[in-house]
Amino acid sequence: MSAWVLPIWKTIHYVAISVVVGVVALVDLRIFGIAKQLPLRPLQRLMRWAIAAFLVAAVSGYVLMRMNPANSVMPLNAAFAAKLVCLLLIGLNDVLYIATGLKRDVDGVAAGESAPVSARIVAGVSLVLWVGVVYWSWMLSFLAGAI
Amino acid sequence: MQFLQQWTETSAFFIWLRESTSIWAYPTVFFLHTIGLVFTAGVSIIIDARLLGAARDLPVAPLARYFRAVWIGFWLTAASGVVMLLSDLQTRLANGLLPLKMLFVVGAVVLLALLRRRLAAANVSPLTRVLAALSLVCWLGAIAAGRFMAYLQ
Repeated sequence: MSAWVLPIWKTIHYVAISVVVGVVALVDLRIFGIAKQLPLRPLQRLMRWAIAAFLVAAVSGYVLMRMNPANSVMPLNAAFAAKLVCLLLIGLNDVLYIATGLKRDVDGVAAGESAPVSARIVAGVSLVLWVGVVYWSWMLSFLAGAI
Repeated sequence: MQFLQQWTETSAFFIWLRESTSIWAYPTVFFLHTIGLVFTAGVSIIIDARLLGAARDLPVAPLARYFRAVWIGFWLTAASGVVMLLSDLQTRLANGLLPLKMLFVVGAVVLLALLRRRLAAANVSPLTRVLAALSLVCWLGAIAAGRFMAYLQ
């Protein structure tokens, strides 16, 4: 395997995660009241980009895992497990956000209006979990002896 | 330079950072570097995409409001980056990719400052779009250079 393969896949993985976190941060910070002049409907529509970027991150993450299974799954790395738990909780948080109709309500938040408190809680949970995903990624490398 | 080298070799903090196997030493500084970068680059990439013509229903001027948070992310990345550089000065300065990475980072930061003003003025002229495209190139370049620095030694 060429020495370039690993850093190329890592770059793809990082850029994809940056796009996901970028969209999540823009939406969540707006719900917290930053950039209040932005209407939430077009902002939340950017979540489609985040979903596409997440798929790229998942595929590149799977490739990285297969390249070096000893770092994550053989044996199971506790930090890798924590990262997956964070991702599952993010999925659950998003499903509940949509299923309870809260996302639709937030879509109606126009320029200059405040988002409801319930949306702020969902946004806070989402931000903390995404920081958790990045944190456990580094602890994964640490536990695997890669940094 | 000699003084800097001597200081980082004898300072208790840098010795701890280099030699400690604690999760609070090097891994935590590295994590702060990444979380700041992911946030700063991520938000910049989305704003660049908007300026390049995507998501046209999203008003441009209020996006400038995010910049205080973006700068916090940037300084977190810069400060932790300097700490990592100083912790192993000689090896890192010897890495041929460092100047390239710094070129991308400086470019990205200058473009951020230029784009902030243009966003606030809702200026989406062709020049703004060129700056947004350059900003995208700089962020992708900085991330790629960082990964190649870490794995091609």
